[in-house]
Amino acid sequence: MTAGDVHGAAMEPSPFLIQSKKLTVWLFIVADAATFGAMLFGYGYLRFGSPNWTKPFNFSPSIINAFVMTVILLTSSLTMLGGVAAAREGRRAATMKWLAATVLLGALFATLHLREWVTMFHDGWSLTANPLGGSVLVGATFFSITGLHLLHVICGVVAIIVIAIGFGTGKFTAGHVETTGLYWHFVDLVWMFVFPLVYLLNLR
Amino acid sequence: MTTTELSSGPTFKIYVAVWMGMVVIAAIEAWLAYMHVSRVTLLATLLVLAVLEAAVALRYFMHLKYEVPLLFWTLIPGLVFAFVMMNQFWADSARMSSLRFPIP
Repeated sequence: MTAGDVHGAAMEPSPFLIQSKKLTVWLFIVADAATFGAMLFGYGYLRFGSPNWTKPFNFSPSIINAFVMTVILLTSSLTMLGGVAAAREGRRAATMKWLAATVLLGALFATLHLREWVTMFHDGWSLTANPLGGSVLVGATFFSITGLHLLHVICGVVAIIVIAIGFGTGKFTAGHVETTGLYWHFVDLVWMFVFPLVYLLNLR
Repeated sequence: MTTTELSSGPTFKIYVAVWMGMVVIAAIEAWLAYMHVSRVTLLATLLVLAVLEAAVALRYFMHLKYEVPLLFWTLIPGLVFAFVMMNQFWADSARMSSLRFPIP
């Protein structure tokens, strides 16, 4: 009798046919999606329930900036897919280049976002202040939702750097690159809702 | 049956096509926001387009199309149910203040 016979039931294959780390990331994504969903539903009811809601965004620079950020984040998903494909084929140098491009695009997205925040702070916007004189919930919801998303982007950039270094040194496998990519695409997916609901519904 | 470390996926050409489609959808959303449509119509249209983008991202970028169907049925319907419940209870919370007991 071997150890495998004794623990056979505990070692049966996953019904999802994926590794546990990938299933873990999927479960995290579902929980995180519920968090973002709750915030966006809450924002929606405040947005349409407040009679003195003010619209802070002009076409230039706000909407142009947000659209450029959207394209940057979508492009970073594409470079991440390039990294996953290269990692799967065992092309270490190509993987590092694709992941470096993803990190740069993610950092660029965060920089543009922070620049927008600084401009808004300068104009008098904050979590508790509305320089246009309407509901203070405009700033509260905007900075809460985009702040949580920005935090995810920054965490994703850090995670990709760690995974890229680990993959380069042989510590991590292509599976690690793929699961990190899964998280990165989720961050992109959330922005697909933030851009229309938070920016485009608040045009001046 | 064994677990696989990597899911098989589409070619990079398909990824680029999906990326272009998503950029076009984002551009359509921005264009629609400047059309003079009612607030409800705009909200509904933007939500439909956002859900379409999310579905495409889930299927192709996140490879859900290439995983076993059980993974989809385990994860997504429960999440959609949670969103539907949020849609019900958030609205209900608006009348909570009128349900308080009067202060004697």
